[in-house]
Amino acid sequence: MDIIGQFPLFYFPDYGSAWMMGLTGTIHILFSHTSVGAAMLFAFLAHKAYKENRSDYYPYMKKYGMFLLIFSYVLGSITGPGIWNTATAASPRGISALIHNFVWVWATEWVFFIYEVIGVFVLVYFIDKIDKKTHLRLTYTFALASVGTLALIIGIISFMMWPGTEAFYATGSASDAFFGVNTFPHMFLRIGFMIMMSGVIGLVISSSMRKENEELSNELSRKMGYVSILGGFITLFFFIWYMGTLPDNAHAVFAFSKDAIIKNRIILTLVFVAYFAIAIIKPRLINPVIASAMIGVILISGLWSGEKLRESMRKPYVAGQYIYSNQIISRDVPGKHIKSELPIIAEKGLLQVNPFVPARLKVITDENRLETGELLAKMSCSNCHSLEKTGVYRPLRDRLTGMDKEGVKSILYAMGEGAFAYMPKLKLPENEYDAIAEYFASLHY
Amino acid sequence: MDASVLLALRDPAGVPFYPIVFQVLYILTWALHAAFVLLSLGAMGLSLYGSAKGKTDKYWSILTPHLIQTGKISVSILIVLGVAPLLFTQVIYDPNWYVTNTLSGMWIFIFVYTMVVGYSMYYWYYYANKAQRTGSTLIGFVSFGILVFAGILMHNFAVTSIMPQQWMSMYAPNGVVNTSGWTFNLDIIRLAFMVSLSIPVVGIFLQNYSHFLSTRKDFDASFISYSAKLGTNFAVIGLLISAVLFVLWMLQVKYLFHPVSLATIVGVLVLLVMAKINSNSYYTTLILVVVALLISTMRELIRFDIMSGLGYSIYDYPINFEIPSIVMFLSTFLVMGFVGVAFLLTMAWKVGKSEGVFDGSKDVMVNRLGQSTLYIMIAWMVIYFGWGITILFKNIL
Repeated sequence: MDIIGQFPLFYFPDYGSAWMMGLTGTIHILFSHTSVGAAMLFAFLAHKAYKENRSDYYPYMKKYGMFLLIFSYVLGSITGPGIWNTATAASPRGISALIHNFVWVWATEWVFFIYEVIGVFVLVYFIDKIDKKTHLRLTYTFALASVGTLALIIGIISFMMWPGTEAFYATGSASDAFFGVNTFPHMFLRIGFMIMMSGVIGLVISSSMRKENEELSNELSRKMGYVSILGGFITLFFFIWYMGTLPDNAHAVFAFSKDAIIKNRIILTLVFVAYFAIAIIKPRLINPVIASAMIGVILISGLWSGEKLRESMRKPYVAGQYIYSNQIISRDVPGKHIKSELPIIAEKGLLQVNPFVPARLKVITDENRLETGELLAKMSCSNCHSLEKTGVYRPLRDRLTGMDKEGVKSILYAMGEGAFAYMPKLKLPENEYDAIAEYFASLHY
Repeated sequence: MDASVLLALRDPAGVPFYPIVFQVLYILTWALHAAFVLLSLGAMGLSLYGSAKGKTDKYWSILTPHLIQTGKISVSILIVLGVAPLLFTQVIYDPNWYVTNTLSGMWIFIFVYTMVVGYSMYYWYYYANKAQRTGSTLIGFVSFGILVFAGILMHNFAVTSIMPQQWMSMYAPNGVVNTSGWTFNLDIIRLAFMVSLSIPVVGIFLQNYSHFLSTRKDFDASFISYSAKLGTNFAVIGLLISAVLFVLWMLQVKYLFHPVSLATIVGVLVLLVMAKINSNSYYTTLILVVVALLISTMRELIRFDIMSGLGYSIYDYPINFEIPSIVMFLSTFLVMGFVGVAFLLTMAWKVGKSEGVFDGSKDVMVNRLGQSTLYIMIAWMVIYFGWGITILFKNIL
């Protein structure tokens, strides 16, 4: 029987299903990056406190730690597996590819997670119950464990963009997949952001301590300003390097919105440089409301748009440049004995090879053409586009406005020939093209 | 769902090591995860009773905040421990995991945010109880209810995953495709059994709690004896309820006389006697761990048999060996994991036993473990970067 390993389809009307992962991912990045950044900051503060005998730093660390427990270890630790779950619902084969290539890397990250989760409770609750030297050692190991989690996940998310070299396809080795040309620039880009976030969150805590101890509050706010500026600089520097390590299809997508993105990044940089400069020069002007609002600005203007861009730049792939977003394996990977599914789909059609298409829709007839067209459209397009006339997230309405059946078909043919670098090169039998085109034409976009 | 479809749903990349290793790791880590699920459920539930009693009761005024704290930390630990079985199951049981996630896609999304809201509210409950604010019990009840609902959703995913014969009718009832992701299935007896285990688990926890605090002079002997007795009652009554529900579950799935089922029943009886006598609850806990592993094995056995019956054997999964990353995992797990966690737990144990500030720098074991953890982590980082740079040079130069 000629079937490929496709799973049932989950589709959220008007939005598609990928936005659920995007939302969960954006929230997670804020919390997880803060937690790694804060772990490094804790090590720095604990080191200063111990060496310079600054016991007044400990209440700040405790307060920061309590905030971190809720902020990162409640919301961050749930949304971590949450991304995994929602991504699985949206892109089961994409996640499966990552799991089957990197299961031991993920398992290693899990060991670090265990150390981190137990460690954070010990670090926060025992801050005044253990001696300073042991506490200092604990903060060092906690920081290393946190950076370890980044070191392990970074190769996997870098591979999602591309393996970086051709070696992985030939060897199938996780090492070749993990250490691509963009892994290290990506890693240090995120370390910079983590350092910056630790300062941004630190400003919320330090500014809220003003009533208790104004002098300490100002001193710590200044320090957080310096920390944030350093983190911001590292982020910018490695962002430029990182962009240079991306594949051609990523640049093709980036080119669409390059000007707007550069403008957005320049504005964000200026706003945050000004903010951090105020924290250094006039720390009294920073209060918890402003400091919290700046987290919101980062979340909406920086992270949400940044993650959307990263996801878009992967197109048409979802992982390793061998699985399309629509869950079809698009190339051979000899090192893993993986075969492209495009030839069999071109020959038999998606309806025949997908095991979850019900028997009554396996063959297109005059009676079921619209229904099969809709199903084929969902199977082929809905991972990235909403299909309805009222669609919100990357709606096809905007791409197919005013087109009749033949117009839609001509686009599908062009895609099948690989006319667009950021779209899957999906060749289908004529009757399936016809059914999809009829369905889209019937929507009268 | 016939064998050809199930086999086609396996990832074409194959598995990177012997499937049985993933199966064993799954059984082991699920048991660990479940232990903290049950402890959090039991501790949270019991804390609500204590919270409702208020500060007037001299015993519950001590016990309630400790139970809330136990529930709070257990939720964090159950989340992190839950990642491992989640990982191992989808390596060998791709059809079950991925089909369930897509069929119940909406519930998956709801599950994530149910956990976020429920656990955030639990922190609210913790702070409200600490400050003795009115309404703290109500906040606790709402949080508890939300987290229990998240547990029911997780149960739905587990049950749906072992119903391969019905997947097609769930996805396309009467041949009409439904992509909404609202598939929901319950197995009441199995769920009731799993939930019931939280009663003996919190009972044995209380026995351990009283045992641990018995050396502390700042805790009254009558309180120690009260919490031990309370623990014994919960353990005994809970084990009886769980035993009945386990037998019902086994009758339902027709595994009652299977050696694993019989071993579980024997384990529960041994636990019952040990919990009733309560001579050393730490040994009772060891037997509890064995029973948890047997229950985890039972769950896996049911799934394995269902899938084997349909022609899908995990042992036939094609293998593409991946040696460097398994070496990394094993060495990290066995060396850094054990030494690091031993450092944290030894310190936590000694802090708990101390009445003032614990000086870890003068404690030989804590000092040695701390230093070793630090050196191991530094060495890990050096190896990581060395490995990465070597691979990069090999591939790009």
